[in-house]
Amino acid sequence: MRRIVITGMGAICALGHDAPSVWKAMTEGVSGIGPLTRFDASALRSGGIAAEIKQFDPSRHFDEARLAFLDPLSQYALVAAREAVEQSGISFDGERASRTAVLVGVGVAGEETREGLYKRLYEERATRFHPLGIVRIMTNAPASQISMAHGITGPTFAVASACASSNHAIAQAALMIRAGLVDAAVVGGAEASLTLGLMRAWESMRVLAPDTCRPFSAGRKGLVLGEGSAMFVIETLESAQARGATILCELAGTGMSADAGDIAAPSAVGASAAMSMALRDAGLAPEAIGYVNAHGTGTVANDSTETRALHSVFGAHAPALAISSTKPMHGHALGAGGALELIGTIGALRDGIVPPTLNYLEPDPACDLDYVPNVAREKKIDAAISNSFAFGGLNAVVAVKRMG
Amino acid sequence: MSNVQQETFDIIAKQAKIELDTIKPESTLKDLGIASLDAIEVIFDIEEHFNINLPNEDTDFDGGTVGQLVEAIERQLAQKTSE
Repeated sequence: MRRIVITGMGAICALGHDAPSVWKAMTEGVSGIGPLTRFDASALRSGGIAAEIKQFDPSRHFDEARLAFLDPLSQYALVAAREAVEQSGISFDGERASRTAVLVGVGVAGEETREGLYKRLYEERATRFHPLGIVRIMTNAPASQISMAHGITGPTFAVASACASSNHAIAQAALMIRAGLVDAAVVGGAEASLTLGLMRAWESMRVLAPDTCRPFSAGRKGLVLGEGSAMFVIETLESAQARGATILCELAGTGMSADAGDIAAPSAVGASAAMSMALRDAGLAPEAIGYVNAHGTGTVANDSTETRALHSVFGAHAPALAISSTKPMHGHALGAGGALELIGTIGALRDGIVPPTLNYLEPDPACDLDYVPNVAREKKIDAAISNSFAFGGLNAVVAVKRMG
Repeated sequence: MSNVQQETFDIIAKQAKIELDTIKPESTLKDLGIASLDAIEVIFDIEEHFNINLPNEDTDFDGGTVGQLVEAIERQLAQKTSE
Protein backbone atom coordinates (compact mmCIF):
# COMPACT_ATOMS: atom_id res chain seq x y z
CA MET A 1 0.00 0.00 0.00
CA ARG A 2 1.23 3.51 -0.86
CA ARG A 3 2.20 5.48 2.25
CA ILE A 4 0.90 9.03 2.37
CA VAL A 5 2.60 12.00 4.00
CA ILE A 6 1.69 15.61 4.67
CA THR A 7 4.23 18.09 3.32
CA GLY A 8 2.44 21.41 3.59
CA MET A 9 -0.23 23.10 5.65
CA GLY A 10 -1.96 26.44 5.65
CA ALA A 11 -4.67 27.93 7.81
CA ILE A 12 -6.75 30.98 8.52
CA CYS A 13 -9.27 31.37 11.33
CA ALA A 14 -10.03 33.57 14.33
CA LEU A 15 -6.63 32.63 15.77
CA GLY A 16 -4.55 33.96 12.89
CA HIS A 17 -4.04 34.20 9.16
CA ASP A 18 -1.42 31.46 8.71
CA ALA A 19 -0.72 28.04 10.15
CA PRO A 20 2.21 29.04 12.43
CA SER A 21 0.12 31.81 14.03
CA VAL A 22 -2.84 29.49 14.47
CA TRP A 23 -0.70 26.79 16.05
CA LYS A 24 1.10 29.27 18.33
CA ALA A 25 -2.25 30.60 19.55
CA MET A 26 -3.40 27.03 20.23
CA THR A 27 -0.37 26.33 22.39
CA GLU A 28 -0.91 29.60 24.26
CA GLY A 29 -4.58 28.87 24.88
CA VAL A 30 -5.84 31.95 23.07
CA SER A 31 -9.57 32.11 22.36
CA GLY A 32 -10.85 33.76 19.19
CA ILE A 33 -14.42 33.88 20.50
CA GLY A 34 -16.00 37.30 20.98
CA PRO A 35 -19.04 39.42 20.14
CA LEU A 36 -20.09 39.26 16.48
CA THR A 37 -19.01 42.36 14.61
CA ARG A 38 -19.98 41.55 11.03
CA PHE A 39 -23.66 42.33 11.42
CA ASP A 40 -25.97 43.61 14.15
CA ALA A 41 -26.30 40.57 16.37
CA SER A 42 -28.06 42.33 19.24
CA ALA A 43 -31.38 40.61 18.51
CA LEU A 44 -29.90 37.13 18.68
CA ARG A 45 -31.01 35.13 21.70
CA SER A 46 -27.84 33.09 21.67
CA GLY A 47 -25.56 35.81 22.94
CA GLY A 48 -24.35 36.98 19.56
CA ILE A 49 -20.87 35.48 19.89
CA ALA A 50 -18.64 33.67 17.40
CA ALA A 51 -15.01 33.10 16.50
CA GLU A 52 -14.71 35.59 13.64
CA ILE A 53 -11.69 36.17 11.45
CA LYS A 54 -10.51 39.68 12.21
CA GLN A 55 -8.43 42.22 10.30
CA PHE A 56 -8.47 40.24 7.10
CA ASP A 57 -7.87 42.47 4.11
CA PRO A 58 -8.70 40.51 0.93
CA SER A 59 -7.02 43.13 -1.27
CA ARG A 60 -3.68 42.11 0.22
CA HIS A 61 -4.19 38.62 -1.20
CA PHE A 62 -6.16 39.08 -4.42
CA ASP A 63 -6.34 41.61 -7.22
CA GLU A 64 -9.61 43.43 -7.74
CA ALA A 65 -10.66 41.56 -10.86
CA ARG A 66 -10.24 38.20 -9.17
CA LEU A 67 -11.80 39.27 -5.92
CA ALA A 68 -15.12 39.93 -7.64
CA PHE A 69 -15.42 36.15 -8.10
CA LEU A 70 -14.60 35.23 -4.52
CA ASP A 71 -16.93 34.84 -1.58
CA PRO A 72 -14.97 34.84 1.72
CA LEU A 73 -15.41 31.06 1.58
CA SER A 74 -13.10 30.87 -1.45
CA GLN A 75 -10.83 33.65 -0.19
CA TYR A 76 -10.05 31.71 2.97
CA ALA A 77 -9.54 28.45 1.07
CA LEU A 78 -7.20 30.11 -1.44
CA VAL A 79 -5.13 31.78 1.28
CA ALA A 80 -4.74 28.48 3.15
CA ALA A 81 -4.02 26.49 -0.02
CA ARG A 82 -1.35 28.95 -1.16
CA GLU A 83 0.42 28.67 2.18
CA ALA A 84 0.26 24.86 2.09
CA VAL A 85 1.58 24.66 -1.47
CA GLU A 86 4.41 27.10 -0.70
CA GLN A 87 5.44 25.17 2.39
CA SER A 88 5.46 21.86 0.56
CA GLY A 89 7.48 23.30 -2.30
CA ILE A 90 5.43 21.24 -4.74
CA SER A 91 4.87 22.47 -8.28
CA PHE A 92 2.21 21.29 -10.64
CA ASP A 93 4.19 21.23 -13.87
CA GLY A 94 3.76 18.61 -16.55
CA GLU A 95 2.11 15.36 -15.56
CA ARG A 96 1.93 16.47 -11.91
CA ALA A 97 -1.00 18.75 -12.79
CA SER A 98 -3.29 15.89 -13.77
CA ARG A 99 -1.89 13.58 -11.09
CA THR A 100 -3.04 15.91 -8.28
CA ALA A 101 -6.52 16.19 -6.78
CA VAL A 102 -8.19 19.16 -5.11
CA LEU A 103 -10.78 18.24 -2.50
CA VAL A 104 -12.34 20.84 -0.24
CA GLY A 105 -14.82 20.04 2.50
CA VAL A 106 -17.54 22.67 2.76
CA GLY A 107 -20.49 22.34 5.12
CA VAL A 108 -22.63 25.16 3.83
CA ALA A 109 -21.68 27.43 0.88
CA GLY A 110 -20.92 31.08 0.11
CA GLU A 111 -23.47 32.34 2.62
CA GLU A 112 -22.36 35.95 2.85
CA THR A 113 -22.90 36.38 -0.86
CA ARG A 114 -26.16 34.45 -0.81
CA GLU A 115 -27.69 36.38 2.05
CA GLY A 116 -26.50 39.70 0.68
CA LEU A 117 -28.11 39.03 -2.69
CA TYR A 118 -31.29 37.53 -1.22
CA LYS A 119 -31.66 40.57 0.99
CA ARG A 120 -31.63 42.72 -2.12
CA LEU A 121 -34.07 40.39 -3.84
CA TYR A 122 -36.63 39.87 -1.09
CA GLU A 123 -36.26 42.90 1.15
CA GLU A 124 -35.22 45.62 -1.24
CA ARG A 125 -37.26 44.11 -4.10
CA ALA A 126 -34.35 44.32 -6.50
CA THR A 127 -35.26 43.09 -9.96
CA ARG A 128 -31.72 42.10 -10.96
CA PHE A 129 -29.49 39.44 -9.41
CA HIS A 130 -25.74 39.92 -9.54
CA PRO A 131 -24.30 37.80 -12.37
CA LEU A 132 -21.42 36.50 -10.23
CA GLY A 133 -23.78 35.28 -7.50
CA ILE A 134 -23.77 31.66 -8.59
CA VAL A 135 -20.02 31.31 -9.02
CA ARG A 136 -19.38 32.94 -5.65
CA ILE A 137 -22.03 30.95 -3.75
CA MET A 138 -21.56 27.46 -5.18
CA THR A 139 -20.19 24.88 -2.75
CA ASN A 140 -17.50 23.76 -5.18
CA ALA A 141 -16.18 27.33 -5.65
CA PRO A 142 -13.19 26.88 -3.29
CA ALA A 143 -12.11 23.64 -4.99
CA SER A 144 -12.49 25.19 -8.45
CA GLN A 145 -10.64 28.37 -7.46
CA ILE A 146 -7.72 26.39 -6.01
CA SER A 147 -7.44 24.27 -9.15
CA MET A 148 -7.42 27.45 -11.27
CA ALA A 149 -4.94 29.30 -9.07
CA HIS A 150 -2.43 26.43 -9.12
CA GLY A 151 -3.11 24.90 -12.52
CA ILE A 152 -4.17 21.57 -11.04
CA THR A 153 -6.17 19.49 -13.52
CA GLY A 154 -6.80 16.25 -11.65
CA PRO A 155 -10.04 15.23 -9.87
CA THR A 156 -11.43 18.36 -8.21
CA PHE A 157 -14.65 18.72 -6.26
CA ALA A 158 -16.29 19.64 -2.95
CA VAL A 159 -17.06 17.15 -0.24
CA ALA A 160 -20.08 17.89 1.94
CA SER A 161 -20.92 16.21 5.23
CA ALA A 162 -21.68 19.19 7.46
CA CYS A 163 -19.21 19.25 10.37
CA ALA A 164 -17.29 16.22 9.09
CA SER A 165 -16.70 17.63 5.57
CA SER A 166 -12.97 18.27 6.04
CA ASN A 167 -12.23 14.82 7.36
CA HIS A 168 -14.30 13.16 4.65
CA ALA A 169 -12.36 15.22 2.08
CA ILE A 170 -9.04 14.10 3.58
CA ALA A 171 -10.24 10.47 3.57
CA GLN A 172 -11.34 10.78 -0.04
CA ALA A 173 -7.98 12.25 -1.05
CA ALA A 174 -6.09 9.49 0.75
CA LEU A 175 -8.16 6.83 -0.98
CA MET A 176 -7.52 8.41 -4.39
CA ILE A 177 -3.78 8.38 -3.74
CA ARG A 178 -3.82 4.81 -2.51
CA ALA A 179 -5.84 3.74 -5.53
CA GLY A 180 -3.13 5.20 -7.75
CA LEU A 181 -5.48 7.71 -9.33
CA VAL A 182 -3.29 10.63 -8.24
CA ASP A 183 0.04 11.04 -6.43
CA ALA A 184 -0.81 14.18 -4.49
CA ALA A 185 -3.74 16.25 -3.32
CA VAL A 186 -4.45 19.73 -2.07
CA VAL A 187 -7.08 18.95 0.53
CA GLY A 188 -8.84 20.46 3.52
CA GLY A 189 -11.94 22.42 4.31
CA ALA A 190 -13.42 25.90 4.32
CA GLU A 191 -16.39 27.67 5.83
CA ALA A 192 -17.64 31.26 5.99
CA SER A 193 -21.20 31.22 7.21
CA LEU A 194 -21.36 33.69 10.10
CA THR A 195 -24.47 35.38 8.75
CA LEU A 196 -27.70 36.45 10.43
CA GLY A 197 -29.69 33.75 8.63
CA LEU A 198 -27.34 30.93 9.60
CA MET A 199 -26.93 32.20 13.15
CA ARG A 200 -30.72 32.29 13.50
CA ALA A 201 -30.98 28.77 12.08
CA TRP A 202 -28.43 27.39 14.56
CA GLU A 203 -29.98 29.35 17.42
CA SER A 204 -33.40 27.81 16.76
CA MET A 205 -31.89 24.33 17.11
CA ARG A 206 -30.92 25.39 20.64
CA VAL A 207 -27.32 24.29 20.29
CA LEU A 208 -25.58 27.69 20.55
CA ALA A 209 -23.97 28.60 23.86
CA PRO A 210 -24.89 32.07 25.15
CA ASP A 211 -21.69 32.37 27.22
CA THR A 212 -18.82 30.51 25.58
CA CYS A 213 -17.73 27.06 24.42
CA ARG A 214 -16.58 24.77 27.26
CA PRO A 215 -16.28 21.22 25.92
CA PHE A 216 -16.48 18.26 28.32
CA SER A 217 -16.92 20.63 31.28
CA ALA A 218 -19.74 20.74 33.77
CA GLY A 219 -21.94 23.72 32.95
CA ARG A 220 -21.40 23.56 29.20
CA LYS A 221 -24.22 25.15 27.26
CA GLY A 222 -23.51 24.47 23.63
CA LEU A 223 -21.29 25.33 20.72
CA VAL A 224 -19.93 28.61 19.37
CA LEU A 225 -19.57 28.95 15.62
CA GLY A 226 -16.32 29.81 13.86
CA GLU A 227 -15.06 30.20 10.31
CA GLY A 228 -11.97 29.85 8.20
CA SER A 229 -10.02 27.28 6.27
CA ALA A 230 -7.12 24.89 6.59
CA MET A 231 -5.56 23.17 3.60
CA PHE A 232 -2.84 20.55 3.27
CA VAL A 233 -0.61 19.12 0.60
CA ILE A 234 -0.60 15.36 0.90
CA GLU A 235 1.35 13.05 -1.38
CA THR A 236 2.94 9.64 -1.53
CA LEU A 237 6.01 9.10 0.60
CA GLU A 238 7.85 8.25 -2.61
CA SER A 239 6.89 11.57 -4.21
CA ALA A 240 7.90 13.58 -1.12
CA GLN A 241 11.26 11.78 -0.88
CA ALA A 242 11.96 12.23 -4.58
CA ARG A 243 11.38 15.97 -4.22
CA GLY A 244 13.42 16.15 -1.03
CA ALA A 245 10.41 17.70 0.68
CA THR A 246 10.17 18.23 4.43
CA ILE A 247 7.68 15.72 5.75
CA LEU A 248 5.41 17.08 8.50
CA CYS A 249 3.89 13.72 9.41
CA GLU A 250 2.36 10.60 7.96
CA LEU A 251 -1.34 10.49 7.12
CA ALA A 252 -1.67 6.99 8.48
CA GLY A 253 -5.34 6.18 8.06
CA THR A 254 -8.93 7.28 7.97
CA GLY A 255 -12.26 5.89 9.16
CA MET A 256 -15.78 6.76 8.13
CA SER A 257 -19.23 5.68 9.27
CA ALA A 258 -22.89 6.68 9.33
CA ASP A 259 -25.12 6.38 12.41
CA ALA A 260 -28.20 5.55 10.33
CA GLY A 261 -30.12 6.83 13.34
CA ASP A 262 -31.14 10.32 14.31
CA ILE A 263 -30.59 13.29 11.97
CA ALA A 264 -29.14 15.39 14.81
CA ALA A 265 -28.55 13.40 18.01
CA PRO A 266 -25.06 11.85 18.14
CA SER A 267 -24.42 8.11 18.43
CA ALA A 268 -21.60 6.48 20.37
CA VAL A 269 -21.85 3.43 18.12
CA GLY A 270 -21.32 5.43 14.92
CA ALA A 271 -18.51 7.49 16.46
CA SER A 272 -16.76 4.35 17.77
CA ALA A 273 -17.03 2.66 14.39
CA ALA A 274 -15.27 5.54 12.66
CA MET A 275 -12.48 5.70 15.27
CA SER A 276 -11.94 1.93 15.20
CA MET A 277 -11.82 1.94 11.42
CA ALA A 278 -9.25 4.75 11.39
CA LEU A 279 -7.02 2.82 13.82
CA ARG A 280 -7.32 -0.39 11.79
CA ASP A 281 -6.70 1.47 8.55
CA ALA A 282 -3.60 3.07 10.06
CA GLY A 283 -2.37 -0.21 11.51
CA LEU A 284 -2.24 1.42 14.94
CA ALA A 285 -3.14 -0.30 18.20
CA PRO A 286 -5.31 1.83 20.53
CA GLU A 287 -2.34 1.97 22.92
CA ALA A 288 -0.23 3.69 20.24
CA ILE A 289 -2.45 6.78 20.31
CA GLY A 290 -1.23 9.56 22.61
CA TYR A 291 -3.54 12.40 21.63
CA VAL A 292 -7.13 12.72 20.48
CA ASN A 293 -8.29 15.99 18.99
CA ALA A 294 -11.93 15.51 19.92
CA HIS A 295 -14.97 16.70 18.05
CA GLY A 296 -15.86 18.24 21.45
CA THR A 297 -18.45 20.78 20.40
CA GLY A 298 -19.48 21.82 23.89
CA THR A 299 -23.04 20.54 23.60
CA VAL A 300 -24.27 18.33 26.43
CA ALA A 301 -25.05 15.49 24.03
CA ASN A 302 -21.91 15.44 21.89
CA ASP A 303 -19.35 15.51 24.66
CA SER A 304 -20.88 12.75 26.78
CA THR A 305 -21.52 10.59 23.70
CA GLU A 306 -17.98 11.12 22.41
CA THR A 307 -16.63 10.18 25.85
CA ARG A 308 -18.60 6.92 25.78
CA ALA A 309 -17.28 6.21 22.28
CA LEU A 310 -13.68 6.87 23.42
CA HIS A 311 -14.15 4.42 26.31
CA SER A 312 -15.50 1.76 23.98
CA VAL A 313 -12.65 2.13 21.43
CA PHE A 314 -9.73 2.63 23.79
CA GLY A 315 -10.84 0.57 26.80
CA ALA A 316 -8.22 0.52 29.55
CA HIS A 317 -6.02 2.94 27.55
CA ALA A 318 -8.73 5.66 27.48
CA PRO A 319 -7.68 7.35 30.77
CA ALA A 320 -4.09 7.60 29.47
CA LEU A 321 -5.13 9.57 26.39
CA ALA A 322 -4.61 13.31 26.24
CA ILE A 323 -7.91 14.50 24.76
CA SER A 324 -8.70 18.08 23.86
CA SER A 325 -11.16 20.11 21.90
CA THR A 326 -9.66 23.17 20.24
CA LYS A 327 -13.13 24.54 19.39
CA PRO A 328 -13.11 27.08 22.31
CA MET A 329 -10.21 28.68 20.43
CA HIS A 330 -11.23 28.66 16.74
CA GLY A 331 -14.94 28.01 17.22
CA HIS A 332 -16.94 25.32 15.51
CA ALA A 333 -15.91 25.97 11.93
CA LEU A 334 -18.30 23.36 10.49
CA GLY A 335 -16.91 22.28 7.09
CA ALA A 336 -13.49 23.69 8.00
CA GLY A 337 -13.52 22.10 11.46
CA GLY A 338 -11.61 18.88 10.85
CA ALA A 339 -8.96 20.66 8.79
CA LEU A 340 -8.33 23.40 11.38
CA GLU A 341 -8.20 20.73 14.06
CA LEU A 342 -5.64 18.77 12.05
CA ILE A 343 -3.36 21.83 12.34
CA GLY A 344 -3.55 21.32 16.12
CA THR A 345 -3.09 17.58 15.83
CA ILE A 346 -0.01 17.89 13.62
CA GLY A 347 1.35 20.55 15.96
CA ALA A 348 1.01 18.15 18.89
CA LEU A 349 2.92 15.45 16.97
CA ARG A 350 5.69 17.74 15.82
CA ASP A 351 6.23 19.93 18.89
CA GLY A 352 5.19 17.59 21.70
CA ILE A 353 2.66 20.11 22.98
CA VAL A 354 -0.98 19.16 23.49
CA PRO A 355 -3.31 22.12 22.97
CA PRO A 356 -5.73 22.58 25.87
CA THR A 357 -9.51 22.48 26.20
CA LEU A 358 -10.26 26.06 27.23
CA ASN A 359 -13.04 27.35 29.49
CA TYR A 360 -13.12 24.11 31.48
CA LEU A 361 -14.77 24.70 34.87
CA GLU A 362 -15.08 21.33 36.61
CA PRO A 363 -15.61 17.67 35.75
CA ASP A 364 -18.94 16.39 34.48
CA PRO A 365 -19.49 12.78 35.66
CA ALA A 366 -20.54 11.91 32.09
CA CYS A 367 -17.16 13.13 30.80
CA ASP A 368 -14.59 11.32 32.92
CA LEU A 369 -11.39 11.37 30.83
CA ASP A 370 -8.34 13.65 30.63
CA TYR A 371 -9.33 16.68 28.57
CA VAL A 372 -6.13 18.71 29.15
CA PRO A 373 -8.16 21.47 30.83
CA ASN A 374 -7.26 25.11 30.20
CA VAL A 375 -3.47 24.84 29.90
CA ALA A 376 -1.36 23.25 27.15
CA ARG A 377 0.71 20.27 28.19
CA GLU A 378 4.10 18.94 27.11
CA LYS A 379 3.79 15.34 26.03
CA LYS A 380 5.60 13.34 23.39
CA ILE A 381 2.99 12.20 20.89
CA ASP A 382 3.83 9.48 18.36
CA ALA A 383 0.37 9.05 16.90
CA ALA A 384 -2.93 10.88 17.16
CA ILE A 385 -6.45 10.90 15.82
CA SER A 386 -8.76 13.79 15.00
CA ASN A 387 -12.53 13.25 15.27
CA SER A 388 -15.35 14.88 13.35
CA PHE A 389 -18.98 13.87 13.87
CA ALA A 390 -21.62 15.65 11.83
CA PHE A 391 -25.31 16.38 11.93
CA GLY A 392 -26.84 13.80 9.69
CA GLY A 393 -25.04 11.10 11.68
CA LEU A 394 -21.90 11.21 9.50
CA ASN A 395 -18.56 10.48 11.14
CA ALA A 396 -15.00 10.77 9.84
CA VAL A 397 -11.75 10.28 11.73
CA VAL A 398 -8.19 10.95 10.58
CA ALA A 399 -5.15 9.19 12.09
CA VAL A 400 -1.68 10.72 11.81
CA LYS A 401 1.71 9.63 13.06
CA ARG A 402 5.20 10.95 13.39
CA MET A 403 7.65 10.07 10.66
CA GLY A 404 9.94 7.88 12.36
CA MET B 1 -57.10 23.05 33.08
CA SER B 2 -55.98 26.55 32.10
CA ASN B 3 -56.30 27.67 28.51
CA VAL B 4 -52.53 27.88 28.20
CA GLN B 5 -52.19 24.29 29.42
CA GLN B 6 -54.96 23.13 27.09
CA GLU B 7 -53.41 24.82 24.06
CA THR B 8 -49.93 23.56 24.97
CA PHE B 9 -51.17 19.98 25.32
CA ASP B 10 -52.97 20.28 21.96
CA ILE B 11 -49.70 21.36 20.30
CA ILE B 12 -47.76 18.50 21.92
CA ALA B 13 -50.42 15.93 21.00
CA LYS B 14 -50.52 17.11 17.40
CA GLN B 15 -46.74 17.22 16.98
CA ALA B 16 -46.12 13.89 18.70
CA LYS B 17 -49.19 12.27 17.15
CA ILE B 18 -50.37 11.00 20.52
CA GLU B 19 -53.77 11.02 22.25
CA LEU B 20 -54.41 14.15 24.29
CA ASP B 21 -55.31 12.22 27.44
CA THR B 22 -51.90 10.51 27.57
CA ILE B 23 -50.31 13.89 28.42
CA LYS B 24 -50.12 14.62 32.15
CA PRO B 25 -48.52 17.69 33.78
CA GLU B 26 -45.92 15.41 35.34
CA SER B 27 -44.90 13.81 32.01
CA THR B 28 -41.58 14.79 30.47
CA LEU B 29 -41.35 15.19 26.70
CA LYS B 30 -39.01 12.22 26.81
CA ASP B 31 -41.74 10.12 28.56
CA LEU B 32 -44.05 11.03 25.70
CA GLY B 33 -41.53 9.75 23.17
CA ILE B 34 -40.60 13.24 21.96
CA ALA B 35 -36.83 13.45 21.60
CA SER B 36 -34.11 15.31 19.75
CA LEU B 37 -35.35 17.62 17.01
CA ASP B 38 -38.99 16.65 17.59
CA ALA B 39 -38.75 18.25 21.02
CA ILE B 40 -37.10 21.36 19.55
CA GLU B 41 -39.93 21.52 17.03
CA VAL B 42 -42.59 21.30 19.76
CA ILE B 43 -40.96 24.26 21.51
CA PHE B 44 -40.85 26.15 18.23
CA ASP B 45 -44.56 25.48 17.62
CA ILE B 46 -45.33 26.72 21.13
CA GLU B 47 -43.26 29.88 20.60
CA GLU B 48 -45.02 30.55 17.31
CA HIS B 49 -48.49 29.88 18.77
CA PHE B 50 -48.11 32.16 21.79
CA ASN B 51 -45.64 34.52 20.10
CA ILE B 52 -43.11 34.23 22.92
CA ASN B 53 -39.46 33.23 23.28
CA LEU B 54 -38.66 30.36 25.60
CA PRO B 55 -35.09 30.53 26.89
CA ASN B 56 -32.97 27.36 26.73
CA GLU B 57 -33.08 27.15 30.55
CA ASP B 58 -36.84 26.53 30.37
CA THR B 59 -36.53 23.70 27.90
CA ASP B 60 -34.97 20.79 29.75
CA PHE B 61 -36.18 17.96 27.55
CA ASP B 62 -34.88 15.13 29.72
CA GLY B 63 -35.83 16.20 33.23
CA GLY B 64 -38.35 19.02 32.78
CA THR B 65 -42.05 18.18 32.93
CA VAL B 66 -44.82 19.40 30.68
CA GLY B 67 -46.28 21.15 33.74
CA GLN B 68 -43.03 23.11 34.15
CA LEU B 69 -43.15 23.96 30.48
CA VAL B 70 -46.66 25.38 30.89
CA GLU B 71 -45.44 27.44 33.84
CA ALA B 72 -42.57 28.79 31.73
CA ILE B 73 -45.03 29.73 28.97
CA GLU B 74 -47.28 31.49 31.48
CA ARG B 75 -44.27 33.41 32.82
CA GLN B 76 -43.36 34.58 29.32
CA LEU B 77 -46.97 35.54 28.57
CA ALA B 78 -47.23 37.51 31.81
CA GLN B 79 -44.00 39.31 30.99
CA LYS B 80 -45.33 40.14 27.53
CA THR B 81 -48.57 41.60 28.96
CA SER B 82 -46.64 43.73 31.46
CA GLU B 83 -44.38 45.20 28.77
